[in-house]
Amino acid sequence: MEIDLSPILDSWQYLLGGLGVTLLLSVLTVICSTILGAAIALARVYGPAWLRVPLVFYIDTMRAIPVLVVLVWTYFAVPILFGFNFPPFWAALVALTAHIAAYVAEIVRAGIESIRPGQIRAGLAIGMSQAQIVRKIILPQATVRMLPAFGSILSITIKDTAIAAVIAVPEFMKRSETIAGQSYHPIEVFTFAMLVYFVILFPVTRLVDMFYRRVAHLGRS
Amino acid sequence: MTLDWSVVWQYRGALLEGTLMTILLTVLTMLIAVPAGVMLALMRLSNSKPLSAVSACFVEFFRNLPLILVIYWAFYVMPVAIGVEFSAFTTGLAALCLNVSAYNSETFRAGINSIRKGQTEAAIAVGMSRWQAMSKVIIPQAWRRVLPILASTWVSLFKDTSLVSVIAVGELAHTALQIRSQTFRVLEMLTAMAAIYWLLGYPQAKLVDWIQRKYGVKE
Repeated sequence: MEIDLSPILDSWQYLLGGLGVTLLLSVLTVICSTILGAAIALARVYGPAWLRVPLVFYIDTMRAIPVLVVLVWTYFAVPILFGFNFPPFWAALVALTAHIAAYVAEIVRAGIESIRPGQIRAGLAIGMSQAQIVRKIILPQATVRMLPAFGSILSITIKDTAIAAVIAVPEFMKRSETIAGQSYHPIEVFTFAMLVYFVILFPVTRLVDMFYRRVAHLGRS
Repeated sequence: MTLDWSVVWQYRGALLEGTLMTILLTVLTMLIAVPAGVMLALMRLSNSKPLSAVSACFVEFFRNLPLILVIYWAFYVMPVAIGVEFSAFTTGLAALCLNVSAYNSETFRAGINSIRKGQTEAAIAVGMSRWQAMSKVIIPQAWRRVLPILASTWVSLFKDTSLVSVIAVGELAHTALQIRSQTFRVLEMLTAMAAIYWLLGYPQAKLVDWIQRKYGVKE
């Protein structure tokens, strides 16, 4: 077997652009799903009772359906139902956000519920309002406790953006596939893509671990 | 817009076959990945430096890769590297196993590490061998902590089997997408696919919640 790296070297700009799309999609998805997920979790825990049923249904549905199905459905079925076309990038952003926000919501809820109820009672006893207790007692500790799980959301998001290749988002995975197909050198191209993803993802998981170890004491109670 | 849902009923045989294939893939992958995960975890925790390093590299490598890329890689590279042509099904199964074994290994390692070292020392002090300490003292306790995580890995795996559709393994996602492109009933087929995944996945997700409540370790 002869190894020929020229397809990668010849189209490095094309691949680098794909990497940019991957990172942009990841960052936007993380931001959007954090906001949406936190809102869902807060509404579920502190919101009115009737709101809980649809929110739990939404979260469990997203936990039950593969992200591929959500992506394909958003890209192909939403235009038919609602009559507007999503460009692939935006369809991927919407689908990934909808999917990952459900996981974020579960993490935020677990974080909030991990704070002992005694602390809430103590807060009430010294005359704090519900909102003050949430803001000053629960969220600061819960946020630290959420960090390890949130770190895995970061790497899950980057990995899931690769699935967006299925709806032809021109991100790194899709572009690697294109070059592999055009050059007839899939072995070199896909192995290279593996190394690139590993080099991105490995430091992300390590940095989150390190950061958590540094702040873990703030979450103890 | 006219919808024709009869197409779903018309292709019920193919969809059922796809669903069975999805379940088969999930079960087979887990059957292989649990022993593989145990082996990797024991290698990682063993006193031998090279064994531990090999296991750590394997686990970190496959945990930090998108599964879809591993599937493509297995499809194009594995036949050349090993010199044997595999069917798409075997290739997909192998890729899923590589991924899930890595996750399982971390699950088992965390489970074993969660049992205090003093217990191993106590077992050795009463004259057990290291292996006996592991099988009689550590694993029976670690099992309870491992089970909830294993259950959620199961659900993730069930969903991830949809990714092997990219190398044309005839599971549910691939079957539904094929029917979609043959009949052009896009909305109906995609919704049917989502509904079937939901029907199968929702009870599993609920079961995982229940297992976590029952076996979860309280602070």
